[in-house]
Amino acid sequence: MSGVRLGLLTVLGLALVAAVAGGALGTAARQRVSPLLGALVGAAAVWTGALAWSGGTGRVVVGTVLPGVTAAYAPDRLGGAFLVLVGGVTVLASVWAFDGARGTAASRTAWVAYPLFVLGLLGVMAAADVVAFLLAWEVMAVASAVLVLADHARRPEVVGAGLWYAGMTQLSFLLVLGGFAVLASAAGGTGWSDLARLAPDAGATGAGVGLLLLGFVTKAGAVPVHVWLPRAHPEAPSHVSALMSAAMVKAGVYGVLLVVVRLLPAGPSWWGLALLVVGSASAVFGILQAGVAADLKRLLAYSTTENVGLILVAVGAAQVTTARGDVETGHVLLVAALLLTFGHAAAKSVLFLTAGSVLHATGLRDLDRLGGLGRTMPWTCGAFGVAALGAAGLPVTAGFVAEWTLLQALVHAGGPADPRLGLVSALAVTVVALTAGLALMTFTKAFGIAFLGRPRSDGAAAAHEVGRAERLAAAVGALAVLGLGLVPGPMATAAVRALGVDGVTAAGTTLAAGVRLGGVAPAPGSAGEAASGTAALVPVLDPLALGLAALAALVVVAGVVARLRRRAPRRAVELGWGCGGARVSPRMQYTATSYAEPLVRIFDAPLGVSRSVATTTADAPYVVRAMSFRQRVRDVFEEHGYRPLLRAAARVGDAGRALHNGSVHRYLAWSFATFVVVLGLAAR
Amino acid sequence: MSSGDASQAVALLAGLELLTAVLLAWRGPASSPRGPLAVQGFALAGLVAVIGVAEGEPVLWLVALLVGVLKGVVLPTLVVRRPSRAAGPAAPPAADRPATVRPVVRPAVVRGRSRVPLLLGAAGLVVVAYLAARPVTRVVTGATGQALPVGFALVLVGFALLATGRRSQSQLVGFLVLDNGIATTAFLATGGVPLVVELGVSLDVLLVVLVLQVLGSRIDTAFGAGAPGGTDLDQLRELHD
Amino acid sequence: MAAVLTAPLAAGLAAGFTAGPVVGPALVWVALLGPALCALAVLLLRRRAVVLVADVVASSVVLLCGGALLAGVADGGAAVVTAGGLLRVDPLAGYLLVVVGAVALTATWGGLSPGRARSRRGGRYTTLVCLFLAAMVLAVVADDLGVTWVAVEGTTITTAFLVGFAGGRRAVEAAWKYVVLASVGVGIAFLGLVLLYAATRAAGDPTLSWVRLVTDRPAVDPTVARMGLLLAALGFATKAGLAPMHAWLPDAHSQAPAPVSGLMSGVLLAVAFGAVLRIQRLDAVLLDGAAVRTLLLVGGLLSLLVAAVLVVTQRDLKRMLAYSSIEHMGLVAVAAAVGNRLALAAMLVHLLVHGLAKASTFVMAGRVLAVEGTTAIADVHGLVRSAPRIGIPFLAGAVTLLGLPPSGLFLTEAALVVAGLRSGYGWAMAIVLVLLLVVFVGMGRAVIAMTLGAPAPAGSSEPAAAATEALSAPLAPVALALAAACLLALATPLAGTLDSVVAVIGGAP
Repeated sequence: MSGVRLGLLTVLGLALVAAVAGGALGTAARQRVSPLLGALVGAAAVWTGALAWSGGTGRVVVGTVLPGVTAAYAPDRLGGAFLVLVGGVTVLASVWAFDGARGTAASRTAWVAYPLFVLGLLGVMAAADVVAFLLAWEVMAVASAVLVLADHARRPEVVGAGLWYAGMTQLSFLLVLGGFAVLASAAGGTGWSDLARLAPDAGATGAGVGLLLLGFVTKAGAVPVHVWLPRAHPEAPSHVSALMSAAMVKAGVYGVLLVVVRLLPAGPSWWGLALLVVGSASAVFGILQAGVAADLKRLLAYSTTENVGLILVAVGAAQVTTARGDVETGHVLLVAALLLTFGHAAAKSVLFLTAGSVLHATGLRDLDRLGGLGRTMPWTCGAFGVAALGAAGLPVTAGFVAEWTLLQALVHAGGPADPRLGLVSALAVTVVALTAGLALMTFTKAFGIAFLGRPRSDGAAAAHEVGRAERLAAAVGALAVLGLGLVPGPMATAAVRALGVDGVTAAGTTLAAGVRLGGVAPAPGSAGEAASGTAALVPVLDPLALGLAALAALVVVAGVVARLRRRAPRRAVELGWGCGGARVSPRMQYTATSYAEPLVRIFDAPLGVSRSVATTTADAPYVVRAMSFRQRVRDVFEEHGYRPLLRAAARVGDAGRALHNGSVHRYLAWSFATFVVVLGLAAR
Repeated sequence: MSSGDASQAVALLAGLELLTAVLLAWRGPASSPRGPLAVQGFALAGLVAVIGVAEGEPVLWLVALLVGVLKGVVLPTLVVRRPSRAAGPAAPPAADRPATVRPVVRPAVVRGRSRVPLLLGAAGLVVVAYLAARPVTRVVTGATGQALPVGFALVLVGFALLATGRRSQSQLVGFLVLDNGIATTAFLATGGVPLVVELGVSLDVLLVVLVLQVLGSRIDTAFGAGAPGGTDLDQLRELHD
Repeated sequence: MAAVLTAPLAAGLAAGFTAGPVVGPALVWVALLGPALCALAVLLLRRRAVVLVADVVASSVVLLCGGALLAGVADGGAAVVTAGGLLRVDPLAGYLLVVVGAVALTATWGGLSPGRARSRRGGRYTTLVCLFLAAMVLAVVADDLGVTWVAVEGTTITTAFLVGFAGGRRAVEAAWKYVVLASVGVGIAFLGLVLLYAATRAAGDPTLSWVRLVTDRPAVDPTVARMGLLLAALGFATKAGLAPMHAWLPDAHSQAPAPVSGLMSGVLLAVAFGAVLRIQRLDAVLLDGAAVRTLLLVGGLLSLLVAAVLVVTQRDLKRMLAYSSIEHMGLVAVAAAVGNRLALAAMLVHLLVHGLAKASTFVMAGRVLAVEGTTAIADVHGLVRSAPRIGIPFLAGAVTLLGLPPSGLFLTEAALVVAGLRSGYGWAMAIVLVLLLVVFVGMGRAVIAMTLGAPAPAGSSEPAAAATEALSAPLAPVALALAAACLLALATPLAGTLDSVVAVIGGAP
């Protein structure tokens, strides 16, 4: 038995045991055993994934009652990479859940669904044929819907979120089913190896891939099929949010990579262009919404849409550049996509877990009422800060390395040889740059408002540091964010291997030492330069050196500050009038809403903002007693896309009810008409 | 009986059936359907007997007797009989019915309802029947083929009666005409289906009519109508979407 | 449940089966007469215990005999023929017997009601259910299509009073519509059979025996045979609930007592569709098979459309389940129209799984009615919290019906789409997928609204006797049926059996 097969069976067995244990154990035992089993499932998945990533093979076949229909699970390198990702996030989320899963999040149902959710996720990454993929995909969908609905009885909005989620996830499933069915019938088989033999230019292939991409981006939460995401992620228990955001939307990304890169790498360039458009829209729209969101988990959810958008931009650009002949840049873009995926997974799992910790400590998700948590919750604050750096794409984190690689590759795509590609990549660069800027603003807001300043409510003031397990999970995740950012070499090398684009290294992408993007910009004296002979345009970046430089700068700054402090003695200032500073109140601070106000002003229309100011006056109109300000940010896609559609469906349903008006004569007339028509057609 | 005689007798009896069907369509709600139905049933029985003689199958004599009793006597009687409330098992309690609902009794003769469209419709259906029966007449050998369209016409007219029948009784009549049409087609096209099937089918028809009678009386009780010909079925509109 | 639970027993019986030619026919007669004898026992003994369990016993007998017969005739075994060739059990009949038995066991066991058994009309109820079962068994095991027709019409007669059992205006209205529409529809089928008989008579071999027609392949006149087969298929499709002949179904299913709704929805539709499948096979053998295939495709898609449109804004729980039955029969019809081996295998599994899940859900819907006093969707809230013993199984049943894993319907629907595309029905599959989504959203919304969320503040009134009975009614039948509906998809050993059933009704690879 190969290691991978053993690993797959271990994962399967552990997950089933965990599901049974979740259902059978009592509350106290469940709270100890279920997270442990969850973490073990994750660890087994990491092990299995690592084996597959490094080239191991193994196969588990599940039979069905239908003759000739089987589901085979056999991860390849790419699947292995994603298994590691999902497994890693599962370990973090499960460890966090030792302390973090409480109340309905730790109910019997939730602990049965949780391992099945993970199992489904892992199955998607490990599937080797259409049946296996679809089965795992839908198990993942159902189990996650159960988890989203965990708190249904206490909060009515959970039910609405669950319904949206179920509907959109079923849409995604049916699209994927349709797409794979088209491809499988064209290929005459359901295995990946069968699908890989399809002619990429054929009409059926195009139709199938189109359906698949639509289904996958729905799962990935891209615009305009993202509407479930900002509802479901906030309402789910936090460790489940982390899994959904860091791992489940990656199932959509994996699907895209599976089709566009692994199965049909020679597809026409419109696939990539479509991904580019969707990705750009998602990135900009997602970060705009995140920028103005005041609910911490909703902010993180929209930021997921943004990150997925960036990944799709990378994959799309890679596809386009490859299709137009610039294979090396395409490969670098693919590596960037994988780096983005891992970077985002690490950062977003920490962010959601720490947001869950904040929720436990304060009972609040509303940024406008948080504040000053840095002092009471130092561990959580530190982890959130690091992860926020990562999500904003700032240096010494994984996010920075990934976005920088993406930007560099985009800048060098096309060039004078291919001006049309150049135009596309220039637009993409604009999108990435805009997104990065807005992301910076968003996460300064999230971190600054929640953790700095003074508490804006009693809940925030009464906060306390959370339990050890929660802290441990957050800290380990934060370390992963830093590690991937400081030493990205091994990760990049592994990404190259996972994608099967080894040709790049041969052409000079010496990725091992950092982000030396040789293919784009060979380091002076490197093998790449010698091979290609291009002049050294050297945007070489070594994150480790950058980190050291940053550390050095920090030391210098700290030294200067300390010196200045020593030199200037403390003075007590007695303010006569006070300039307003004598009675500092938390309400004087920036809130999340006010911080985002400029953004709201600029992007008024695309955000669909509505405000109202109500003034309560005393006897005279100029004596103002109180003012209230309300601002609502709508989702334009929901408002102008989905709502009308749902209303139309309801109208059709209402009209359709008139069909069955209860008249037996009408029903008999249907039968009679059918009888006469069939008789007439038959006697022809 | 020569084959010419047989085919003449078949044509005559089939024509009689069609005539009674049109009469049933024509009749007003006040007149009893029993007579035409009985004539139709006996005509059908005669048809079976003639075919039995022509084809020399004594078993068809037995069938003719069965058909005559069932369709000439039992079923027409059943249709017009108003089952007493005791016959309907467990009439629902009167409390089921809102006290304010008064029995809706339509006038026995619907004023101003022209018979012309109805007859035109029946004529149209007969034409359709002739067209539809053409392929079948091609394959039927013997004396009966030429009369075959009558079977189809009875089916269509019966179906139309059923679909337009206002009251429970007229729907029953339509059902019986439809059933007679199928039986006519069966005897004309095939000389009768196998005996065991014929017996089962007869039993089924009898039971269906019985069931409909009982249900009709329950409807009368529940919807509170003592109108001749049973409750107006347009009142049965509580179940809808 | 069917195959999983009875497999060892069936295997044992199958061993005895080969021992002599007596066992097989005896089993057929037991399956046929068992329910009839149960009915007789109720009529004669009138003991409360007998009234209570007679229908459960009858269902179990059918299930056991069906399982044994299926094990005997599948995988290369010879068909069991008895009563001079009038009755014949081939793998399809055996499979349908298992469907009848398993679903009926779920519905009757889940619908056990001591309160009803005590009531004055309890005996009549049980008698009619047993006779209904006997009629369905006859429809399945009859080889002569005429006998099948008689039996199918018999199901209408036996269920007429069951539909109207509740009494009152609505129930009697539903019963009237049901009997009129169903018997007229089935009448069309008889006209079709007459024409088929005429065609075979003209070809020199008058017969309505299905197996003789399939094996002898008489050279029939194509037009007359096509007329006969089309009309027969249309007529039986009425009882199978295919649009536009479906109009009786929502009314009858919503008014019948819950176990009867489950029986009608889960088995009666399947039995009638079994007759359609036989007709389709004849069409393929005697003619080119195009006519019935087109009929099924159009009817199936139309059924899906009707169900989708009417589920979206549906206000009544039991009507919603009825439309869901129309939807599933539409899928089954489309699968039969696609007609390759994968589609037919998926269709057969779909019939069984749908029957089990629908019977369970109807049983639970009956308990919802007993507890809440209404089946209006808008009036029921938060069942999972307020009455978990009802809410959770109901939710599980509904999820199974929606085709989410681990439901077996998930596999069959996916297989249907793949099979349809393989046979070149891409456009039809596109329609199917869109309509499935609409049904999912419409039904999902209603089910979630009823089961999840905070329960409505409970009134302090004393719970009715029916509510108490519903709250303490056994969950085992529903749990077993739903488990079977899920595990069946992975029951690899049954693939061979399924293959031999598919072979009966054809199916190009």
